[in-house]
Amino acid sequence: MRKRTRKLSLFSSLRESIPLALFSLWTNKLRAFLTLLGVVIGVATVIAVVSIIAGMNNYVIGTFAAWGSDNFSVQRIGVIMSAEEYREKNKRENITIEQKEAVERLCRSCDDVGAQLTRDGNIKYERESVDDTYIIGLTANVLQLSRLHVAIGRDLTDLDIDHRRNVCVLGYEVAEVLFSTLDPIGKKVRLSGDEFTVIGVIEKRGTFLGQSMDNFVAIPFSTFTKMFGKDQSVEIIIRAQNREVMFATQDEVRTILRSAREVPISDDDDFDILTSDMLIQLYKSFTGAAFMVMIGISSISLIVGGIVIMNIMLVTVAERTREIGIRKAIGARKRDILNQFLVESVTVSAAGGVVGILLGVLIAKLVALASPLPASIETWSIAMGILISSTVGIFFGIYPAMRAARLDPIEALRAD
Amino acid sequence: MLIETKDLWKVYQMGKIEIQALRGVDVGVTEGEYVAIMGPSGSGKSTLMNLLGCLDTPTRGEYRLAGKLVSDMSEDELAIVRNREVGFVFQTFNLLSRASALKNVELPLVYNGTPARERVEKAEAALDMVDLTDRMDHKPNELSGGQRQRVAIARALVNSPSIIFADEPTGNLDTATSYEIMELFGKLNREGITLIVVTHETDIANYTNRILHVRDGKIEKEETNK
Repeated sequence: MRKRTRKLSLFSSLRESIPLALFSLWTNKLRAFLTLLGVVIGVATVIAVVSIIAGMNNYVIGTFAAWGSDNFSVQRIGVIMSAEEYREKNKRENITIEQKEAVERLCRSCDDVGAQLTRDGNIKYERESVDDTYIIGLTANVLQLSRLHVAIGRDLTDLDIDHRRNVCVLGYEVAEVLFSTLDPIGKKVRLSGDEFTVIGVIEKRGTFLGQSMDNFVAIPFSTFTKMFGKDQSVEIIIRAQNREVMFATQDEVRTILRSAREVPISDDDDFDILTSDMLIQLYKSFTGAAFMVMIGISSISLIVGGIVIMNIMLVTVAERTREIGIRKAIGARKRDILNQFLVESVTVSAAGGVVGILLGVLIAKLVALASPLPASIETWSIAMGILISSTVGIFFGIYPAMRAARLDPIEALRAD
Repeated sequence: MLIETKDLWKVYQMGKIEIQALRGVDVGVTEGEYVAIMGPSGSGKSTLMNLLGCLDTPTRGEYRLAGKLVSDMSEDELAIVRNREVGFVFQTFNLLSRASALKNVELPLVYNGTPARERVEKAEAALDMVDLTDRMDHKPNELSGGQRQRVAIARALVNSPSIIFADEPTGNLDTATSYEIMELFGKLNREGITLIVVTHETDIANYTNRILHVRDGKIEKEETNK
């Protein structure tokens, strides 16, 4: 019986307090604006940052995953996080093509092993040119290992490599700039001064975080070393036989390379292994930092917003002291009054949350429009916006509500 | 006995000074009575009404209302007693200005969990008892003083309480309206409702059956009308 009583009274206080709270916000718009500002900024920050990061996550992880979960690469210097780390790793010796061949020969769990070298260069065809393209010298299997598919023409073959042919496969964007509507196959181009024959064009891959992934020229590995010399560290690209043996394959490659490079047992590897999983991990640690910054900004705004709400609620309680007295005189218990004012502060705060969600979505959409960063509106972040703003309402509303609930009925009735 | 007090004391501490607002009051009121409490300001009559109306607890002494020992109750228990057993009518009406007459009358029912439909029925019945059915959708500021007081009386009646307390109910009304309200109280009393009216006006007190004169925190004398 008692339980039913409480429920009904909470329910009717909802029906009474929510419209009342919204009405008082509506009638005093400047006060409402100031009251809600903190909560709006706090919630908008959460929604906007979560949307942008989630959009980037989907995108980046999708791209890394497309790179393949069964292949990895070995580089002299992988990802560096500090200048000191760079200085240390820069002492390492180059990875040579002989070391790649050692891996190819000895590694049992490797399915395929390729090598590539890269540098910046330019390419010309008649009057058209691309000045800042990316020249990749690769073994014939690398296009396939890196999941680059030829759209027109043909792949590089072992024959091209063996004969150090001056042939090239173009990235989509390079082909588009140089040839527009012409058929590029068989055309002679000048690549950093030397003449090359175009034999193929790779499918369009699009952009990654604003960077074109179609601006490159692939040439045979041997032609690359003939043109640019051999004193550059080779990147080894390896495909494991399947995903299950990824780690075993990495270990095997590591052992082979350590022995080929004569690394003492007590020393660390003098090369880095990069997998798409590692890149995803690395990327996540960056976005984790962005999340921390967001949490900082939004907690400050939410605390400020909460304090403002607490003040407004204290004013409301003072203004309505007599009403509280009346309600107590006719039988409202402490918790009835407490509920009434809590519902009111939660309504105010949640209204700020709703505005903040709309604003956050708007910001995320604008950022997505104005920059290469994609945005993805996450349902859970909207639910969290409502939850956070309501929690602020409860947390900062509890003190004013308790003040109201504790008022002495006789004194409250005497108030003006 | 509906109301029975034994040696009721109320002492306030104002800094170092002790104020004895009530100094051992014994009151008895039986069901169906119509009683006035009279006294000059500062006599303790308001304190007495607050205690009898369960808005406050005595410093010392015993108070039984409808058989329940209220003097020992907690704040929330008192709230329940006020809701079920007591109705209040105030000098300044004390209606919620935003709510219609009907909503104002419904309010006590909200706090005991009466379902919405039953609330409306009971509130309409109470407004009918005070002849205000045609005004139930009006807000207090759209009603005259007398009408507002009748809304307040309907609100006091709606929970069928054991007793109604009226604190200077005609203090803010002109003479004609005052008599109207007192006639209404008389009618309600004849229908069996127990009433206690606090007043300092003799002609108002004369509507009742019995007058308790309070002075210096004590019942100074008691007289019976008619």
